[in-house]
Amino acid sequence: MPVRVLLDGRERSGQAEPRLLLSDFLRHELGSTAVHVACEQGGCGACAVLLDGRLTLSCLVLAVQADGGAIDTADGMTTNGELHPIQQAFRAKHGLQCGFCTPGMLLAARTLLDTNPQPTDEEIREHLSGNVCRCTGYTGIVAAVREAARLVAEERR
Amino acid sequence: MSRPFRYVGRSLERVEDPQLLRGRCRYLDDVRLPGMMHVAFVRSVYGHARLLRVDADATQDLPGVALVVTGADLGDAPELVTGSSRPEAGQWSRPLLARDRVRYVGEPLAAVVASSRYTAEDACELVEVDYDPLPAVVDAERALEPESVLLHEQHGSNDFAHIAFESGDVEGAFDSAAHVFTKRFHFGRTHAAPLEGRGGIADWSDELVVWSSTQMPFLVRSMLAGLYGLPETRVRVLVPTVGGGFGLKVHLYVEEAVLPFLSRLAGAPVKWAEDRYEHLAASGHSKEVICELELATAEEGRFLAMRGRLVGDGGAHQGHPWTSLIDPLCAAAMLPGIYDLDAVRYEVHAAATNKCPTTAYRGVGWTSGHAVREALIDDAARELGIDPLELRLRNCLPDGEPVVSATGCRYDGGSYAASIRRARELVGYDELRERQRRLREEGRYLGVGFSPFVEQGGWAAEIAADQGFAGSGYLDAVSVAVEPDGSVTLATGLQSNGQGHETTLAQLAADGLGVRPGNVRVVQGDTATTAYSTGSWGSRTAIVAGGAVLRATDDLRQKLLRIAAHELEASEADLQIEDGVISVSGSPDRALSVADVAAAAYSGRAPSDVDPALTATRSYDPPATYSNACIACVVEVDVETGCVGVERLVAVEDCGRVINPLLVDGQVSGAVAQGVGAVLYEGLPYADGGQFLAGSLGEFLYPTAPELPDVEVEHLETPSPVTEGGFKGMGEGGLIGAPAAVVNAVADALAPFGVRIDRTPLRPCDVLALIDAARAPAAS
Repeated sequence: MPVRVLLDGRERSGQAEPRLLLSDFLRHELGSTAVHVACEQGGCGACAVLLDGRLTLSCLVLAVQADGGAIDTADGMTTNGELHPIQQAFRAKHGLQCGFCTPGMLLAARTLLDTNPQPTDEEIREHLSGNVCRCTGYTGIVAAVREAARLVAEERR
Repeated sequence: MSRPFRYVGRSLERVEDPQLLRGRCRYLDDVRLPGMMHVAFVRSVYGHARLLRVDADATQDLPGVALVVTGADLGDAPELVTGSSRPEAGQWSRPLLARDRVRYVGEPLAAVVASSRYTAEDACELVEVDYDPLPAVVDAERALEPESVLLHEQHGSNDFAHIAFESGDVEGAFDSAAHVFTKRFHFGRTHAAPLEGRGGIADWSDELVVWSSTQMPFLVRSMLAGLYGLPETRVRVLVPTVGGGFGLKVHLYVEEAVLPFLSRLAGAPVKWAEDRYEHLAASGHSKEVICELELATAEEGRFLAMRGRLVGDGGAHQGHPWTSLIDPLCAAAMLPGIYDLDAVRYEVHAAATNKCPTTAYRGVGWTSGHAVREALIDDAARELGIDPLELRLRNCLPDGEPVVSATGCRYDGGSYAASIRRARELVGYDELRERQRRLREEGRYLGVGFSPFVEQGGWAAEIAADQGFAGSGYLDAVSVAVEPDGSVTLATGLQSNGQGHETTLAQLAADGLGVRPGNVRVVQGDTATTAYSTGSWGSRTAIVAGGAVLRATDDLRQKLLRIAAHELEASEADLQIEDGVISVSGSPDRALSVADVAAAAYSGRAPSDVDPALTATRSYDPPATYSNACIACVVEVDVETGCVGVERLVAVEDCGRVINPLLVDGQVSGAVAQGVGAVLYEGLPYADGGQFLAGSLGEFLYPTAPELPDVEVEHLETPSPVTEGGFKGMGEGGLIGAPAAVVNAVADALAPFGVRIDRTPLRPCDVLALIDAARAPAAS
């Protein structure tokens, strides 16, 4: 059946059998490479997207459930090719290595800073608890979110 | 060779990040080819069974299924034959799909090719398999007992290899010892578990083109060419962005090896991208070694000798191509660690068990051997009433000078004592002991553990011999070209899987040539366009590339200077290159850019005695080099729940000359976190019948951000006197050293209970069991 979504601000549509996961729909029907699949069990956060503004594991949602929804990925965080301050901070603080967890991690960080612009380290770590990173040991990621909070605050000033 | 470094040593931001941050990179499962079909495997549900019948008839009516291949359908398809430069390891062959027997849960016994992965999995459900269950053996020591069921009857034994080694007067040392300390330690199974699992695409029409998520494109090419009897020129291996490897992707797995066969049969490109169950149950497990270690000391605690028996749990098949020896033999070879010993004896076995085959994971057996030694030293310190750091400092090798260990490892100088002292300062050792004493009075149990170690680096012929694999050799080359516009291409078969080679190799080339790193483009992941290398594993890339890049850029630099001297009518000896400008010393107005010189070469203006081809391919086979570090861990153990909270992780690290400190810190932090995970969270249990009990992320627990503190990294710098540039390897160290630090911290916290730690993992249930066991004798 047809499924239409607003993907990173663009109207997109594709076909989905009822059992097709949203993650597979985004990746294989719409060709998104900013949605990664690592466990399909809701256990790692690599497939996280924003569905109508809410952080959502796209491997735990059927594509048909997202019909008519707005989906944002890490690719949509850039503006005219310019990295978002959170993305810049991840680069500056070496908050990524292999990059597989990164899109989900960026979106998790974004939802944190949207609601809590000056988080403590403990709040950062707690908020990211649904996103597994196997490379960094999280030191660089936490430093990046700290730095992103500073950059975002600066931008708002 | 000494040279000024301008970009090496700087924390440059990574070239690869902008694409990764947008999610624009293509990993294996992002690669799609026209007409591509998808593979899923039918996998054994038994740990050990005879296969009586595999019947795919019911799949025939399922739309979208192209073919089903069973072990019997493989016919005379080739088998993987695994051996080692150690003759003791023999030659063990394995069909690409199980034929008449399955030996571990998850072993592939049939492959389905279908229009989508969904359909392929549907078809797997329809394949009927009749099993005749056999007794399973899941304990490595039991597997070696004569009455054990045999996994590979034709070999007559479950011992993949038995190796014995002795150096020095071991008996004499033990006879004259004032004390002998012993420890039995079972280091548990671990899993590299990169976030991106294994996967491959094979397209075999005219030539064989393979996309692989691997750390070693050329070895995959060589192995597939050998397996299928093709010239290497007819096999091309492409590697897209790799989502983590950590050693798991330095193997050729049967699932990957069968893909070309399936492609040829299906007449289409075929893709297999594994799911998390396949990854956890059936890719590669690591590091499980049961070790009995004895330490002889003199009265005042001076170490004299060690004796060890190490039994690796190899799982059902030897990991291809490195064999099951990479855990127990590496553990044994590094038994002396940083310590000055007179004599060492070890005996190594690698046992076949009805469990997932074991493969490499960051630090291979160095992790388990190091853990048992350092845990034993802490036991000895407690019994001798000597502070554990003092005992280590009394026995460690001298800082700075090259020295050969009791097992023959050629250490090239380090900061063994200095790293211990610095780690002690950083954790505030004396205050910590005082705080520990106060908290114990409140019924709270704080512990601190230290773990100083040496780490082999730059796996190549010489260090392989150090580690027990004499006779192994490796060729690693890079190709550097100055293009017509003066930009630089560096092409290599070394393969980043997240470490940032596009950045660090560019830093090396920039300094080698005298250009800016931004002008250097690193090309990897394509055997058709890069120079042969055995790949990125064994903490080797910085060293191997360091030598090969500096050699190749030296050649090119000399050529550029000769052409520039001709153009400028100056003497080569008076020329310098900096940031892409070649100038005459003392006359900065007499200058040319590298682009000008390249233009001269490409347009036929080079002097007649210079070959104008601005390309150089050079290799490097480095001598043995060893970095060192000391990791410290502070924990608090909740003795009611068994939960271990990690308060601090400190790493004082010495990898010689550092190419990019930001990236080294990232490697250390990540590896240390994996060490914490291996000890406190991740377990890979099997039931006695061979059932695998950790098939999802509900059972296999990665550490996440709240479980960890920031890893605090500090650098010491003892450049190698033997490698080009003074680089040492450091990719694995955190995971070699951190588990021992965590084990020792937990043991220190639980010392009031008399707990002796004899195993990992130390999940809450394990910690409570250890406390109960320690209390039991007192109660009885």
